[in-house]
This record gives sequence, C-alpha cells and structure tokens, in this order.
Amino acid sequence: MEEKRKRNQPSDIQSAHEEWQQSYQKQMGKQQVIRNRSGLEVDPLYSPADSNNIFFNERLGFPGQYPFTRGIYPTMHRGRTWSQRQLIGLGTPDDYNERVMKLLDSGTSAISLLPCNSTFRGLDCDEIQEVLLGTCGTIINTIDHMETCLAGVPIEEISTAMNDPLPFTLLAFLLGVARRRGIPWERITGTSNQSDYISHFVANHMFFRLSLTGSRRMLLDHIAFCREKVPNWNPVSVVGQHMQQAGATPAETMGFTLSTAIQYAEDCLVRGMDIDSVLTRFTFFFDISISFFEEVAQFRAGRRIWARIARERLGALDPRSWRFKFHGQTSGVDLTRQQPLNNIARVTTQAIVGILSGLQSMHTDAYDEAISCPTEEAARIAVNTQNILREEAHLCDVIDPLGGSYYIESLTDQMEVEINSVIEKIDAAGGMFKAVESGLVQAMIGESALSFQRQIESGDQKLVGVNCYQLDEDQEVEPAPYRPNPDAVKALAESFKEYKAARSKSTVQRAIDNLARAANSENDNLFEQVVTAAEKGVTHGEIVACLRRELGEGKPIIKA
Amino acid sequence: MKQQKSISEKLFAKLQAGDVSALSYAIRAIENSEFESAEIYNRIKADIGRTAVIGFTGPPGVGKSTLINAYIDCIRSADQRVAVVAIDPSSPISGGAILGDRLRMAAHIDDPGVFIRSVSNRGHLGGLCAAISGIINLIDVAGWDVILLETVGAGQSDTDLTDIADIKVVIQAPGLGDDIQAIKAGILEIADVFVVNKADMPLADRAMRQLQAMIDLRDDKNNRVPIVKTVATEGVGVDLLKAEIDLRSQKWKVVDRQARVKKRMHRLFAREVGRLMERKLASMNQSEFSQVYEKLILGDLKLNLLVERMVEELQEILGD
Amino acid sequence: MHESEVQMESPPRVLITKIGLDGHDRGSRIVAAYLRDAGMEVIYTPPWQTIDAVVGISRQEDIDIIGLSSLATDHLIIPELMTTLTNEGLDAVRVVVGGIIPQNEIQKLLDSGVSKVFGPGTLREEIIDNVKSLALSAQKLKRQKWEEA
Repeated sequence: MEEKRKRNQPSDIQSAHEEWQQSYQKQMGKQQVIRNRSGLEVDPLYSPADSNNIFFNERLGFPGQYPFTRGIYPTMHRGRTWSQRQLIGLGTPDDYNERVMKLLDSGTSAISLLPCNSTFRGLDCDEIQEVLLGTCGTIINTIDHMETCLAGVPIEEISTAMNDPLPFTLLAFLLGVARRRGIPWERITGTSNQSDYISHFVANHMFFRLSLTGSRRMLLDHIAFCREKVPNWNPVSVVGQHMQQAGATPAETMGFTLSTAIQYAEDCLVRGMDIDSVLTRFTFFFDISISFFEEVAQFRAGRRIWARIARERLGALDPRSWRFKFHGQTSGVDLTRQQPLNNIARVTTQAIVGILSGLQSMHTDAYDEAISCPTEEAARIAVNTQNILREEAHLCDVIDPLGGSYYIESLTDQMEVEINSVIEKIDAAGGMFKAVESGLVQAMIGESALSFQRQIESGDQKLVGVNCYQLDEDQEVEPAPYRPNPDAVKALAESFKEYKAARSKSTVQRAIDNLARAANSENDNLFEQVVTAAEKGVTHGEIVACLRRELGEGKPIIKA
Repeated sequence: MKQQKSISEKLFAKLQAGDVSALSYAIRAIENSEFESAEIYNRIKADIGRTAVIGFTGPPGVGKSTLINAYIDCIRSADQRVAVVAIDPSSPISGGAILGDRLRMAAHIDDPGVFIRSVSNRGHLGGLCAAISGIINLIDVAGWDVILLETVGAGQSDTDLTDIADIKVVIQAPGLGDDIQAIKAGILEIADVFVVNKADMPLADRAMRQLQAMIDLRDDKNNRVPIVKTVATEGVGVDLLKAEIDLRSQKWKVVDRQARVKKRMHRLFAREVGRLMERKLASMNQSEFSQVYEKLILGDLKLNLLVERMVEELQEILGD
Repeated sequence: MHESEVQMESPPRVLITKIGLDGHDRGSRIVAAYLRDAGMEVIYTPPWQTIDAVVGISRQEDIDIIGLSSLATDHLIIPELMTTLTNEGLDAVRVVVGGIIPQNEIQKLLDSGVSKVFGPGTLREEIIDNVKSLALSAQKLKRQKWEEA
C-alpha cells in the first residue's frame, strides 16, 4: 500500500509541480493568458512553489499585529461584525426623517445622510430647476432643515456618516442642532464621508469644488477644528470609490488612495499637527467590485502598505495610526440596468468579498440602483443580503479565512508591488496634489476606463445581460423610479424663501463677512466660521458662494 | 470631384449682418471646400482686412488656452468684439478629433461679444488648418474686431502663423523639462512678443533669463522682442501683454488692410493650388504618366527634383 | 465624387456634454473617444453645463449632434433644452441621450424632440451608426436652411 502511493506520487513539490504542469498543458493545449482587472497575469494554479511564507511575521503577522495583512484587530468579525451602514437620503427633510426613524426602530445604531445633488453642487433649493430637487438625496440648506431631518434621532448615541464635501456645512448644521439640544460636541460621533477633495478632482462626481489650494486649506482647518472641538468625529475619509468608479483599476485605486492619504497626512505635518492625533482618525472608503480574489488581495495589500507608510514614512508611533480602517460599498459600476434582479447576485458576491477582506463597515447597494434611487423593497433586500451573509453563511467564524491560500498570498504580494509602483509614480510627480493639478492621475484613469470598456465591447469581459445572456428589452419589468412629491418640494421651496426673508439681514451679513475675512487670513480657522455662520442661519448656498468668491472655484481638470 | 457651389444670398446677407449661426455654418463650408473659391472671394473682398489677427503659439502645457481666456477679458474690457479660432490636431488614424481648447474659455459662453470656434487641423501640418485663410476672411466679413488664433502647439513646427497673423505671440512656461530648448529652433524667430506664462512657478526667472539670452544673441538691438511675464490663471500680466501687442500693431502699421489681405491671399492661393493639383493629378489617367513613374521608381528621376521643377514653373507664371 | 469622400469631407460635429447637477463623466468620455475614433469632430465639455451654454456652443461650433449623458435625474431638464434649441433657431441640431433613463421617462424625452436614447450596455457600433446618420440629417436640414430660398 505504502509502496504504491510512493510510486504514484512524485517525491518532492518541485517535481510534482512539473508533472502537473505537463499534464495540464497536454490537456489544455495552447491557451490564452488570463489577466485580472489590474492587468496582472493569473496562473491556472498556485502551490507551495509560489508561496512566500518564510517571512510570515514580516509580511502577514497575526490579526491586530503589524503589518495587519490579516486584519487590523485581534478579534475581527468574531469580536464584532462590520457596521451595517446604508446610505439614505431622499426628498424633503420630512421624508428623510420618516425613513431614518423606521431604520432606528429596526435597531440601527449607525445612520447616514445623503444630501440632494443640488447641495453637492453648492446650491440652495432656490437656485436650480425644481424638478431636479430631492431626486437623489435630501434637500438640506439650513440648520432648520437638519433639525427636521434629525427630529427624534438621538444624535449623542448613534454614529452619523455625512456625505458632506467641503466646506462641511452638514456637519456645521449637525453641530448647531447639537448645541440647540444642549448636547456637548464631544459626544457627537461619525465621519465626514466626502472630505477627500482630491478624489473630487480626480473623478468628476457631483461635488462642487473650491479651488485646489482653497480646498487644501479648508480640509486642514476642518481637521484642526475637529481634533480640538469634536474629538470623536472622523474628519477625514479617504475615498478610493471615486477613482474606481471613474475607471481606475483596483491596483491604481489603492495606489491613488494611499497617495492621497499620504498627501493629507503630510499637509497636517506641515501645519505642525501631531501625526498620531491625525492618523488615528483617518478612515478609508472603497467600492468593492466583483473581481473576487483581486479585491481581497487589494485590501490585504492595502492594509500592509498603509501600516508601513504610517509607521515608517509618516513616523506614527501609535499602533492605532497604522490601522487601515475601511468602509466598503458594493460597487454600483458592476450593476446593470438590464435584468435588474441579477444585481442581487452581484451585490451578494461583492458583499462576500468585502467581508472576507475584513472591512469595518459596509453599505450594500439595492438592485435597482442602476435605475434610480432605491425603492423601499430593494433597500430592504440590500440590508437583508448583509443579514443573511452575517447570520446564515458562517462567513465570520474564522478570521481572514482566505489567508494562507497559495493564490491569495501570492496575489496579495503581486498587488502590493503593483500598488507600490503607482505610489512611486505619484511620488515622482511631486505627490498626489501635484499629480492631480497637472491632470496626470485623471489621464491614467481615463486610459484604464477606456481599456476596460473595450474589453466589454470585445466580449473579453463578459457582463451577463449586457454582452451575453441578453433578454429582449421589452420583456423586462422595471420598477418606477423614486420621485419626490412635487407638492412637498414646492412647499419646501416656499418655506425656504420665507425662512430667508425672516432672518436678520445684518446678522447674516456679519456672519458672511466674518467668513470672508477668515478666508483671507491664515490665522483664522475657516471651518469654525462655517459653523458659526450655519448657526446664525446662513444657508448652505450662501456659505459656498462666499467661499467660492474668496477662495476660487475648482474647475474640472481634464486632459482632453 | 465634389460639386462646389455659390454662397447663397441669404447666407451671405446674414453673414455680413454678423449672424453667428450663419458664420458658424459658413466656416464649416469653407473647411469642406464647399464654396467655389474665386466666387466667394469676389463676394467678400470688399469687406475684409479690417480684423486684426493675433496668433498664440507655444509647446503643449504652457497654458495657451488659459492665456487666451485671460486675454479675451482684456479685449472685452476695451469693448472690442473678439473671435477665437482654436486648432486641435486630428487623429492620424481616424481623422477624428477631440476639440478641447474651449474648455478653458468656458466663462465667455454667455457673452455675445465673444465667438469661439474649435477647428480640427485635419492632418494639416504647420500648427493651423488648411482652410485658415478662408475662415479668417469669413470672421472678418462678419465684423469681428479681433481674431485670436491658437495653434496646435506642436512646438517647433507651428510656423504657419508667420503667413497669417499680424502679431505672433510665442508662449513659454517654466518647468516643461528642457525649458527653452522646446522653442529653440524656428518658432523663436517668428515671435513679435514673448510670454513667460506661469510666472509664479519656481524656475520662472531662469526661463526669463534663458529667453533673454537667446533674444540678445539673435536680435538687432534696435528692435528688441519684449518678454512679458504672465500668470494666466490669475489674469496677471495680461494687460501688459495687450499693451505690447497694441504698441506693435501701431508701430508696424499692421492695421493696413491691404497688407493683411495680401498676407491671407498668399495662404489662400497656396491652399487652392495644392488642393486643385492633387485632385487634378489624382483624376488623371495614371497610364499617361507610366514612363515618368517608372523612372521615379527606378530612381532615374528624383521625386523632389521633379516637384521643384513644377514649382519653378509656377513661380514663373506668378512672376509674369 | 464618391459618397465616402463627401462623408470624409464633412465629419459630423458632435458636442458631448452634461447638463444639470451630476458630474459622473466616465461614460461621456468613453463615448467621446469612440466618436473621435470613428472620424468625428467632437467638442467635449466638462459636466455641469447650463442649458444656455449648450445652446451657445452648439451655435458657435456648428454642431450636428448634441450627446447628453445623464446618470442621475438630470434628464428631467432635457425637455427645457429642446425648447430652448427650437426657440433659438437651432432646430436642425439632433439630440441624443445616453445613460440611465427610467423606462417610463424615455417617452417624455422622445416627445420633447430627443432623437434617440441609448441605455447602458449599448454597443459602440450602434451609437456610431446612429450618430452618423443623425448627423447627415442635421447637415441636410442646415443646408436647406442656408442654401435654399
């Protein structure tokens, strides 16, 4: 028996590998090279011959140990699963309040707020066509609007994620509401989710932008203010999502995101801030795409690289600064308008990727997001996708369950090399700020987007329902998109006019003047003036207009 | 050959009256050689030569469009009406083009005193497009005070401006790698005014010094080419640039209508000759010239010499 | 001479742009590149154009086709653009829309004068073919306007 087995089995790994390779090639013949989305060639098999386990501690470590490849906490999802954080925002402040109260009733401890695109563009509701208002997020222009949104919401007990690009008026409104309720700002927790202005220049999103230099100042003032006055707030979320959505490959996405984080950290250092007090509050925000193993490897590599950057390059001493905390949102780019129910399968796959990658919080897309703002039913399925994966699928039993896979470890190493080469390119261009100012990053992303689209066109990249397994369009039943009640929007616009007229003109003007003065003085904290103005009844659009005047507007930087 | 046609009374009347849609339509017709050239020239000749043409050239990345954008502001505050013709290269493979220069002049879209037209060079070398004379004449007829030409910006080869522009502005910026080398040959000679843009960048002074040294080398001391420092994104130095341009326009009497028209005629003539020759030859029966072609193939006859001989004949005709 | 020569000599002039509030421009940039590669002259603008700007550019650039990308709800103001184009005498210009337009709102766009709506996943060839033939009809209309009594 023993003899027989020995005869059938090659004596060592190397020769066994060769033997497998021969028989594989014999059966497959000449075959096409397979590449992942980052362009890395993927072998048909990984084995101990590929593994690099000899540097186990240096490259992987245990969970909660530097360099955190296997996770940033010792307990990971065994101790506490990810926060379930669904993006919500639609219609009027009343509509939002209704939706958020329902969520709180179902036990949510973390909420989010997505404002209307008009808010993102720095406009009040009286500055654009009414038909566009509230279709993609909640209309919030004033502290009173915020108060309505959060009526009955215990803001001192829950964490709030604000999709709040600079100048951070939503946080200013929130702080104003807290003060009205007598809640100390130390008890306000949450994240400024759209504080990453660089990503807004990299990818044209829907955000209004101050000039690059003005934006730089605004963010630093915001960080400085929060450190001092709202210490449990995360002022910076570095957003890989925008790069990915604009078409960056996974390796580019991670590389650009880490380069952005380096830029912000170094800017804080120049300001004389203590690096650990800044980095411990850094968070990251990514889209999770469906390219399964590549995504897992990307996040594992990202954790490892960030730990090294934080410790070695930025000189952080506090281990909490080295931890790459990230929120993942299942990528809307992968969703198709064709046969929308298929998107449930896509979102499920993406969510599994996120969980296996060890994320800290997650939003799962609703299947109809390629068509409109989610309907209630679709939103519920999205939440239950997370519930099913957490409660039924046994995904959280083991920490970093893919760790040690020959493929995953080898791919993590490869992605690390790839990501580092992107970071080097950005460093050579003088850092992320310069690389975006010159249009370099935008050009790189544009090329990647075009080449991915060509793969879809050529059929090399299959999309079910789009370039294969199509159905006749007419057979599709599409849910009607969400549109806010036009009467409610009209009423809001009317009451906004009354609100503005009822304010003390001199108080408003003084607040705006102070804001303008702060914009032109290096010694004032600009965000502090934004908060003051918000509390005095100055509207979002008025604050933005003032800063645009004083600091300049950020025009899109595109290389045609 | 494609049928050429007369310009319609309606179009011509609207064009003369300054109608923007008419001008816009006519420019494309000229680009496409749709009008009978002699006929259209006769129609418009009484109306042309009034518009000043200022050319802006320089290597990619120096901020030509941004500078033009700032210059527009300057002209507008002097209450002149300005047209911009921005040339972009076409793809050598498809012939298509993405025309992106007007991105940087977006602020002027609501101003009826500004007309911006993006033009593909359609493979034409030299920094402009083949139809540039015709386009300028049309804008002239339509009554615009100033035309700003933005070349492709391929650097040294943008020498077309010499034939066309009353004033040539050559733009440089610090930090483009090999600084002055980029404009060393050819293009340096055509400048009436130099601009060092992005003058707030490090190395701007070095670029100034290098440029000055090169000017000192080539120039006769009485006719110094000025260097103007600008920061186009902030509008800094643009009024100085305008002053230099205005000064030269007057000094050299380039406001002379006849001189202008002649300048453009030269290009117009060259284009028509080239176009007609090419078509004529292409439509001729190839076999008629088979002996010549054989000699060319064998090398008994040199292609360039043959063409030169033809050009000499042309010169003789013109001389008469 | 030949049909092909006529086409070569008058490449379609296309304006690729976005109006309204959303700025996601990945799709419009890709389409711009496709049309360029198909031999067209493409004026590309950043997102967030006003309706007046789109009309102004179309006039100055002798645009045949306006290609609008809408991924959020900005298509809701396209009927306003169509009215303005007509009022400004630019009714020869054809308008196509690409992106995410809910099924039940497509007809509204077509009724307002939009020539074609391309959903996600539309193949390159389909876009190019449609744009080409619409450009020819736009050019023909303009020729009628300017060259016939």
